[in-house]
Amino acid sequence: MIGKLRERIAISGVGCSRFGDLLETPELKGTTIQELTARAVKEALDDAGLTGQDVDAVFAGNAMVHSSQVPGTYSQLSKWTGTQFKAGVHFEAQCSTTNVGAALAAMAVAAGVYDTVLVYGLETTRTKVKDFSPYEREPISHQQTWLWTDMAVNQAYGVPQGYDIFSTYNGLVALGYCRKYGMSIEDFDRSMFELCKTRRLHGSMNPKANIQEKLEDRAKREGFSDPFDYWRSDEHNPFVAWPSRLLSLVTTADGASAMVITRADLAKGGKSPPVELKGFGISYSDLPWYGEDPTYWEFDRRAIDTAFEMAGIKPADIDYLHTHDCSHISGICTAEATGYLEPGKGLNAARDGRLRFDGDRPMSTHGGRHAFGHAWGASAGTDTYEAVLQMRGQAGPRQIKKPPEISVIHTHGYAMIGTVVVLGSI
Amino acid sequence: MSTIAEQPSAIRSYYEGLAKGVFRAITCKDCGGYTFPPTGCCEHCGSWDVTPVELSGDATLLLASHNISPACHPRFEKIAPYVYGHIRLKEGPIVQAIILGVDPTPQALRALFERGPVPVKAETLQMDDLPVLAYRIVG
Repeated sequence: MIGKLRERIAISGVGCSRFGDLLETPELKGTTIQELTARAVKEALDDAGLTGQDVDAVFAGNAMVHSSQVPGTYSQLSKWTGTQFKAGVHFEAQCSTTNVGAALAAMAVAAGVYDTVLVYGLETTRTKVKDFSPYEREPISHQQTWLWTDMAVNQAYGVPQGYDIFSTYNGLVALGYCRKYGMSIEDFDRSMFELCKTRRLHGSMNPKANIQEKLEDRAKREGFSDPFDYWRSDEHNPFVAWPSRLLSLVTTADGASAMVITRADLAKGGKSPPVELKGFGISYSDLPWYGEDPTYWEFDRRAIDTAFEMAGIKPADIDYLHTHDCSHISGICTAEATGYLEPGKGLNAARDGRLRFDGDRPMSTHGGRHAFGHAWGASAGTDTYEAVLQMRGQAGPRQIKKPPEISVIHTHGYAMIGTVVVLGSI
Repeated sequence: MSTIAEQPSAIRSYYEGLAKGVFRAITCKDCGGYTFPPTGCCEHCGSWDVTPVELSGDATLLLASHNISPACHPRFEKIAPYVYGHIRLKEGPIVQAIILGVDPTPQALRALFERGPVPVKAETLQMDDLPVLAYRIVG
């Protein structure tokens, strides 16, 4: 395997919708999935200074077709995005979808097949089509969401025999971390609290985030003078998989994201500077996702090493990191695997505020899967969107003081595809 | 009535074995590795030259948490919350499965965590529509 891109590849435009609920969120209420997607695509195309007719191909990502009900997405969305008569495909890599799409687009461009590719992802994990209506939606129950989502997990043996994401992705990883590094359950709980505070802080500074209320403000609203008492309240923050609590998890959302991938020498004329897509790595695994040590995931190791090799970077080069944080403890383990955080010290870094936008190890400044929210096939694109904004100095109040020159974005596509993308300033 | 014979299926064979308390896997004739639960191909080296084998059921529970309630899958609504564990089989594979013999409470799980790895034995948990693999704490 050569593991190199034969052309310099750029992201010349990015777009992202507000994340939330198509039935409740002010900026989203009443929006159809077609219009939701078009918003993200329009933002990305405008950003790149293009129209849908300027791209050569469209890679349309959507994972949970059960709720969106738009298979054949490329054609069904073509008249909403101005991309009629282009080459296209509907693809999915679950929660890595949009960044796998970026990698596929980079390969297509580097191979000389296309000059410019539009990648977008859309997902509705809070709402689904109501009856047979073309525009009305209704809520999805918790169980229905996971029943559909878990269709991406081992359907021969895992799911039929009681597989549960909350224990596999959270509780067991947390216990493995505590045992490996000698951390007490109390210290773990306090660290998870501090990490949630950071994610919520970032969400409070992001007008597109699903949750824009700080943890401290939520605690106060619920009548708690000490936010940590709120955190430890079984009523407000129960254990979902001991010792992991509800507020250390993903929040579901409806949303869309988009990006324009092109040859670096063509990335001109946009509203903002392009960013180079320097490398990527992809590796997948069926259950179990880890061996005896729940903090070490072989497919992540391979994806990280492949991406860093392609990009020619070392851990010390990383200025900004996003790791998939559906599970906060899993996200910390991955951050340690990248070398951005010291093994066994990631939770200390969280407690010390080092992962905040104004810390020395900024992570997930859009709010992460908890505060920004998670719309499966659209989310990886929001992580890239945030990294691009940070690198351009366009992240507003959550802007990292010195705009990152190298960003690494890691995502987990259920179940599991470790995907790592490395971005560099041009 | 159809007279067409059913083709062999590793999945069907696994669950039929489970119903009888037999834990079916495959081993690889090339690398010797186990694949459990069974497929038609070695998960370690990719060889198709595999042979069926029955596991002892002996294992060690490394870590135990619990699932969310209500359960993600309707099959498990009646028993949720249940303990879910990270297990090393005597034959080597790592498995995650339902754990019997401990309550799904923070207190009980904490005591188990502080105790460290404990021996467990495989058994079949009969749900309404399917036999499923579980491990019971022994001793």
